[in-house]
Amino acid sequence: MAKERIPDWLNSSLWSTTPSVDDRLHRFSLSPTTTTTTAAAAVSEPIVQPTVPVSPPAAASRPQYTVTSQKYEFRDPIDKNSNNNSNDNDQNASPSGVSPDDISRQAQLLAELSKKVVNFRELRRIASQGIPDGAGIRSTVWKLLLGYLPPDRLQWSSELAKKRSEYKQFKEELLMNPTEITRKLEKSAVDDHSKSESSGLLSRSQVTHGEHPLSLGESSIWNQFFQDTEIIEQIDRDVKRTHPDMQFFSGDLPLAKSNQAAAEADSFFCFVELLSGFRDHFCKQLDNSTVGIRSTISRLSQFLKEHDEELWRHLEITTKVNPQFYAFRWITLLLTQEFNFADSLHIWDTLLSDPEGPLETLLRVCCAMLILVRRRLLAGDFTSNLKLLQNYPSSNISHLLYVANKLRSQASN
Amino acid sequence: MAHRVDHEYDYLFKIVLIGDSGVGKSNILSRFTRNEFCLESKSTIGVEFATRTVQVEGKTVKAQIWDTAGQERYRAITSAYYRGAVGALLVYDITKRQTFDNVQRWLRELRDHADSNIVLMMAGNKSDLNHLRSVSEEDGHAVAEKEGLSFLETSALEATNIEKAFQTILNEIYHIVSKKALAAQEAAASASIPGQGTTINVGDESGNTKTACCST
Repeated sequence: MAKERIPDWLNSSLWSTTPSVDDRLHRFSLSPTTTTTTAAAAVSEPIVQPTVPVSPPAAASRPQYTVTSQKYEFRDPIDKNSNNNSNDNDQNASPSGVSPDDISRQAQLLAELSKKVVNFRELRRIASQGIPDGAGIRSTVWKLLLGYLPPDRLQWSSELAKKRSEYKQFKEELLMNPTEITRKLEKSAVDDHSKSESSGLLSRSQVTHGEHPLSLGESSIWNQFFQDTEIIEQIDRDVKRTHPDMQFFSGDLPLAKSNQAAAEADSFFCFVELLSGFRDHFCKQLDNSTVGIRSTISRLSQFLKEHDEELWRHLEITTKVNPQFYAFRWITLLLTQEFNFADSLHIWDTLLSDPEGPLETLLRVCCAMLILVRRRLLAGDFTSNLKLLQNYPSSNISHLLYVANKLRSQASN
Repeated sequence: MAHRVDHEYDYLFKIVLIGDSGVGKSNILSRFTRNEFCLESKSTIGVEFATRTVQVEGKTVKAQIWDTAGQERYRAITSAYYRGAVGALLVYDITKRQTFDNVQRWLRELRDHADSNIVLMMAGNKSDLNHLRSVSEEDGHAVAEKEGLSFLETSALEATNIEKAFQTILNEIYHIVSKKALAAQEAAASASIPGQGTTINVGDESGNTKTACCST
């Protein structure tokens, strides 16, 4: 029930919808100070690599991966210990055995990742069939697919180091304690005061306009601080209760602090990249626009009508199931609440690697979900259909993605 | 089981659950419809939906309950939630004063979107956490009286008053609906138009109504 407004940071250039490789270097800038430093860095760094091979940076900071007969490992280019991290996640994600298909795809991905310059078309093609869980390569592939890592492998470690320090700087600037901010303000006020009128016996520090913990002023630092705290608490609560069965989300990770800091920074930038294509769904002001959530839900409905008019008619006309009642969650959460975690990862492999982009792919997958249960839907009434779609049955994800892919072929033919 | 088309009820009443995020709406729903409680239930996104069939004064009433998201952003489709709703359960958390203060905002939202005759009940949930209480039961009663709502303190965790809350709403709705039906019938009879067949048995008080098991 908060007020309707778009926070300023949402309008940052950070969220620009179509990332191009060249502006990726300096688009993550929030404050004037970081803008100038990164822009300067971008200018001083040649973007095109010289044709003469240059010697790589320190050997220790190069991407490392080892391929043995049984076990594949792909390590964080910066932190040699980070493979613990990805292995933990992957064990959580899939305890099941590895299929021969997975092993061959894993080998192909590892081969692709070990090239000097990653071929994105190839990477997308292989990854769209699902990234095997075993080798801890998903974190690297997703970083590439989201454009967080550049295709040139030699730039990875410097790029990651830069982003991680940038993130650290964001945190220091944006999460400053109000006491520190007011102290700074007071200090400058006192300085001004003592310069202009040094005749008084006792100098007094003035309380800066409304900058005290009880201030209710809209722009008050303290008020903002309390609002932020409330949001952080809400996020914390939701993260913990979203997958309470998984250690990763329950809070205490047995990870080294440095790994955690790096993972946090990486996740932040990857999240920004991901959301750049979906942010409009989260702006209430855009709900009735052509880019808002309602319009996307209508597109899904239209898409279903094109591919299976009988089902569409039964759902929306006969049983009057408003697609908003199920598709709102499907679309805003990118299907993460409809399937278990391992299955969600598999779907996301496809969402992130499809050349048509995550949104188009998502709509195809949603449409395929409806078509796969069409027999039950056609036999159902409002209640049973809505219950079915709000509690989608666990499915063979490979088959679901196969059907979704078929919908594309039909559309383009 | 879920895809069986059923018409085995006399009345279908739509009820919405509203209130701030985290007050326990989803658990009230799962307690009433499935007799389940989950301490870490996921945040509701958009709307969730469940049904239960109960007996009200000898009639089979199917309660269609819409659990709506408490978080502002996930209420994008508000007007659709309220369309056709004949009852609402407005929930706050007795351990969080803010959720009680926001009752007024929810009442405003109801006035804006719901039918003006909607049957309203307020529930102060989490009564099992009495040691953390920050809203007294008297305060709850006072607001309920001022706004003309029925009121109960509930605990989805301990299953306290959950049945009673829904039963109260459903009874009240039933009375309004049957009175209307009776009036319509009398009007029809006095205009000497042949009756259309809906016989409402008002006098049937026999046997205290017992709650039937879950539907579907």
